[in-house]
Amino acid sequence: MIPVVETRGLVKRYGEHLAVAGIDLTVGPGEIYGLVGPNGAGKTTTMKILATLLAPTAGEAYVTGIPVGADPLEVRRRIGYMPDFYGVYDDLRVWEYLDFFARCYGVPANRRPTMIAELLEIVNLGAKRDEYVESLSRGMRQRLCLAHTLVHDPALLILDEPASGLDPRARVEMREILRELRGMNKTILVSSHILPELGEMCTGVAIIDHGRVLRAGSITEIERSLRATALLRIDLLGDETAAAAATAWLGTAPGVGDVLPVESDDADRQRLEVTFDGPSEAQAELLRAMIEAGHRVVGYSQATSDLEEIFLAVTGQQEEEAA
Amino acid sequence: MTATAAPIGAPGLPRRAAMRDLLSGVGTIMSKELRSRMRGRRAFVVLTVYLGILALLTYGVYIIVAPNARASGMGLAAANASALVGQSIFAALSIFQLVLVCFIAPAFTAGQISLEREKQTLDLLVSTPMRPTAIVLGKLAAALAFVVLMIVAAVPIVAIVLMYGGATIGDIVRQQLVLLVTALALGAVGLFYSALLKRTQAATVLTYITMLALTLGTGLIFIFWTVVANQTDEPNLGAPRLAPEQVLWLNPGVAMLDVIAPAEPGGGNNLARALAELHGERTLFGGGEVRCDGDICQPVDVFGNPIGSGDTTGHWWPRVGLTYLVGAAILTFLATRLVVPAGMRWAFRRRHSGAAAATGVDGGGPAADTLPDNPTVEELEA
Repeated sequence: MIPVVETRGLVKRYGEHLAVAGIDLTVGPGEIYGLVGPNGAGKTTTMKILATLLAPTAGEAYVTGIPVGADPLEVRRRIGYMPDFYGVYDDLRVWEYLDFFARCYGVPANRRPTMIAELLEIVNLGAKRDEYVESLSRGMRQRLCLAHTLVHDPALLILDEPASGLDPRARVEMREILRELRGMNKTILVSSHILPELGEMCTGVAIIDHGRVLRAGSITEIERSLRATALLRIDLLGDETAAAAATAWLGTAPGVGDVLPVESDDADRQRLEVTFDGPSEAQAELLRAMIEAGHRVVGYSQATSDLEEIFLAVTGQQEEEAA
Repeated sequence: MTATAAPIGAPGLPRRAAMRDLLSGVGTIMSKELRSRMRGRRAFVVLTVYLGILALLTYGVYIIVAPNARASGMGLAAANASALVGQSIFAALSIFQLVLVCFIAPAFTAGQISLEREKQTLDLLVSTPMRPTAIVLGKLAAALAFVVLMIVAAVPIVAIVLMYGGATIGDIVRQQLVLLVTALALGAVGLFYSALLKRTQAATVLTYITMLALTLGTGLIFIFWTVVANQTDEPNLGAPRLAPEQVLWLNPGVAMLDVIAPAEPGGGNNLARALAELHGERTLFGGGEVRCDGDICQPVDVFGNPIGSGDTTGHWWPRVGLTYLVGAAILTFLATRLVVPAGMRWAFRRRHSGAAAATGVDGGGPAADTLPDNPTVEELEA
């Protein structure tokens, strides 16, 4: 099967600055693929290259198998692009705005009215059809802009930070719409600098920083790969001597790295943070062995579980490696 | 900008289909522009006020000229008096309309592309398959549509001169042509600056500076050049020493005077003679005369026989018109190259370099990176 998006060794250099330093991506049909990374990581540049708005310095990029440099106009017909910063034509009515873009994409006149009505339903702007764009709220404009990417029924949507600047409610709405689009068999490449925003709905994620892909795969795969060096949080019943005994025991256990006592909320309990190298089975084995050795474990959990921390862990690791 | 940049069109498509694409693109942009421009009362109020002013001007010229013509005692026949009124109205309207066009046409185009950049709508537009040529032509057409409406809507007022006589339908047609071509060229100047510069303010200022340079500037240059050319002790036996007349090919005012000349108020030929002198009609400086017959004025000898190189009127307006048409075409073409952000000009170039296209993305990037991006202007802007 031909991937909808494929990049190989994509590089973009602005003078001295290396914005994209060799990005490889593969996004299959029907996926919602997230590009996550801090501002300036190279997400927007990558998306602009795919949207035929920028020429890469080196490397290859394909959309539905078409090299973006060879036939940009055909690529444009197959993608819907929503930039991170954009304006709207204030003085048009909502339907005129979509009609204008539909004409830009060469949608025949007889198909436009029904198509516009359907799109407005999808983005929940059906009631605003005859309003001026000027009168729409920020969230509505964002949804209108999303609708404009769909006028020519493209296979791929490239959405650059579609939820930025939205209030929580509008974010949820945007997420619902993206889910709906996925149901319509669209492939979506979406970027965000906030991982949790994407985590729930993405089938795949690439964590990007400094123009490089640090990790790529599904959220669970990334989590699992990170758990190889997980931070375990172990709560013990007892006083400091219990903690000291456990620390000594853990020092000899396989896979355990550093063991650090941490301030506990509860006076009866001692907390240890343990860096652990090994898969989930090894973690369970460690717990069993600890209990068998007589340590009174009351809490046993992995400290990095939330997506935000995954992101920090990945980008943090990268910095350590660089140092 | 590179001279090698290929014109935009799809080589894969038959020419007719490409043309249809272009026209539908122009229509799309034009209808969108007109939708926002003509919405509401503003456009109609502007048009009404404009026509009102023209009507008042016509009436004003009439009440000033008509009594003089009748009572001048110059022995003017009734027909001549009527012609004087017609000719005066024609001259006043022509000059007034030209001045208006010079100020209005640039105002309508100077923001067309820079405003899209300022409002961040250009990226959305250029990421559609819409061709830059269609974008630029559509914007120019939409901006000029209103100017053309203003010019054409005034035709009935201008046609009043036919009632009085003294000017012919041919004169009116030529007057309309000069107005339309001036609007087109100044509109293209505005559009060019709008595509070149990031900010509308800068584009507007430069457009008006250019307009003033073309109208007042070329006149002053011609005068100074001529004065300097004559600062010599060598005797001037042959032709008068004048600045190259090409300087005045840029001046719409000269074109309009040329159109008015055959219908000069009072039936004189001072204007025709002055225009003839501007392009160095030699015989005139030997004390020759200019006679006008219908639309054509010619230098004649003392017996009234035509002499010299030919017509004295009808010399300027076709030259100015042609210069303006060529200028408008060049500026519009440059605008199509500039409307696309530097980073994506490759997208259109590559399509035409068949061999390069087959190799995919490789090799396209560096070429695009070396593309000069009007650095001086961007530095200025920064």
